[in-house]
Amino acid sequence: MKNISDSRLSGLSRYGLLLALLLVVCLLPFWTGQYYLQVFTIAFYYVVLASSWNLIAGYTGQFSLAHHAFAAIGGYASALLVTRSGFPISVGILASLISSTLMGLILGVLCLRMRAIYLAIATWAFAESVRITLSMTYQITRGDLGLAVPKLFLGAGRALACYYLFLGLAVLTVLTIILINHSKMGYYLRAIRDDEIVARVMGINTTRWKIFSFIISSGIAGIAGAFYGHYNGLLTPVMVDFNEMAFIVIMVVIGGIRTIPGPVIGAILIEVLTETFREFGEIRMVVFALAVIAIARLYNEGAMGVVRQLAQRISIKGRHGKV
Amino acid sequence: MDNQNNRLLYTEKLTRDFGKLRAVDRLSFSLEPGEIRGLIGPNGSGKTTFINLLTGIYKPTSGEVYFHGKRIDRLSPEEITHQGIMRTFQIARVFGDMTVLENMLIPAFTQGTSKREAVRRAKELLDFSLLGRLSSEPARNLSGGQGMLLQIVRGFMRQPLGLYLLDEPFAGVHPAIKDVMIETIQKMNREEGVTFLIVSHELTIVRRLCSRISVLHGGRLISEGTMKEVANDPQVIDSYLGG
Repeated sequence: MKNISDSRLSGLSRYGLLLALLLVVCLLPFWTGQYYLQVFTIAFYYVVLASSWNLIAGYTGQFSLAHHAFAAIGGYASALLVTRSGFPISVGILASLISSTLMGLILGVLCLRMRAIYLAIATWAFAESVRITLSMTYQITRGDLGLAVPKLFLGAGRALACYYLFLGLAVLTVLTIILINHSKMGYYLRAIRDDEIVARVMGINTTRWKIFSFIISSGIAGIAGAFYGHYNGLLTPVMVDFNEMAFIVIMVVIGGIRTIPGPVIGAILIEVLTETFREFGEIRMVVFALAVIAIARLYNEGAMGVVRQLAQRISIKGRHGKV
Repeated sequence: MDNQNNRLLYTEKLTRDFGKLRAVDRLSFSLEPGEIRGLIGPNGSGKTTFINLLTGIYKPTSGEVYFHGKRIDRLSPEEITHQGIMRTFQIARVFGDMTVLENMLIPAFTQGTSKREAVRRAKELLDFSLLGRLSSEPARNLSGGQGMLLQIVRGFMRQPLGLYLLDEPFAGVHPAIKDVMIETIQKMNREEGVTFLIVSHELTIVRRLCSRISVLHGGRLISEGTMKEVANDPQVIDSYLGG
């Protein structure tokens, strides 16, 4: 049995790890070149997606496969509003939030009473519909040719500004998830994941809270997608390829599902590895998929489990040392 | 016949079919406020189905359920909980990934109690039920009996609690924990006026706790009265011995 001091240590080590990581990434631009600055900028985009997906899949137990689609909805909503109507990017970002939360609400109401595999299938079908629609509506989205999007920050310091912008987005997302996790809503979501029938008997309106968490998660993904579009300068339906969703799942599982730092570590690790081993092509996905199978089968706590166990061992050694 | 106004809960011709099987058969039943009622019957007599009907887990095929004079059989489980009815399950269904204390906080949170007040009451209840030293443990680490005890005390976090339905709370539980359970039930009945309906096969405990017993057989209420009365009822003897 885990004792109280171990639990406290685990909590401290979790947030200590996040703070240490934050310090490192804040100082990283002073050590690294332009290339890795961009790699980390994209990694922070995935931190936002992975952390917000962890809220619904990890904490609430709703295995949605449409998270990347909400990023695309937000991305295209902002891009189209800015390019077609001439609105400023800030209005585009607001539109991305509204459109993705609205679609999240609709999909949530339709699908969140479904269980496990049916929810996964329904959300995957929704994401595929979004991808096909984006490809087919060529006159609006320019289909597979891609939609040119006005870029954020122009000039020499653009890469650095975007780096800190996406870092800020990632930090805000993680703080939001921490706040939710420590609020009454966090208790309800964890109860729903553990046993939905008992959660209802305890007085929790499970459908309402599942939809609410789905909306929050979709909204975060939508904003991330909008910023990604304005960073990249081009949006294509590739954003809704199933590979994108698979990446998010891989990042969360490898980092540690149902933990706050897990998706952060997973997203940065996988994105950096993906870029470092780019020359190996699609074989990288096979290696990641095998890693996910191994973790799911043998060690479902992911990288955060390793950190927790290490922290406990150090703590035990420290206590023995004192005696 | 009971005066309708005195009844805390009553059902009228409550029926539940599963395909061709009738699990609860035109059951008319009532409970008075403040009593501790035992519900016994052979396996498959419809006791758990009856509890599931009262708590909205199952919808009745026909018939009605009233609580405090209000019809509740069309409400969802969470709406029924908000009327002041709680229940436990035959196996300990606790939130395994949450600590013992966190398990306790959920029913209080759903009725808008502040965290401070919820923690105060939770600690009081956990200390009384000897689970206080385990409050920081993940609930999945508890033994079966401790889990069952947590399930029971968690229900007391809802205030006011009008009716508590306990489904086989003593099955497979260590005698020492059974004693704590009995003490807790008696205390909550005495001090907070909680009404209990206890489904149990443990007739010794039912005799000790309950002033009146109802007996189900084949989904029907076949006898009601003190333990002595139902034990001498030929229909009851026949149902247990003759099947």
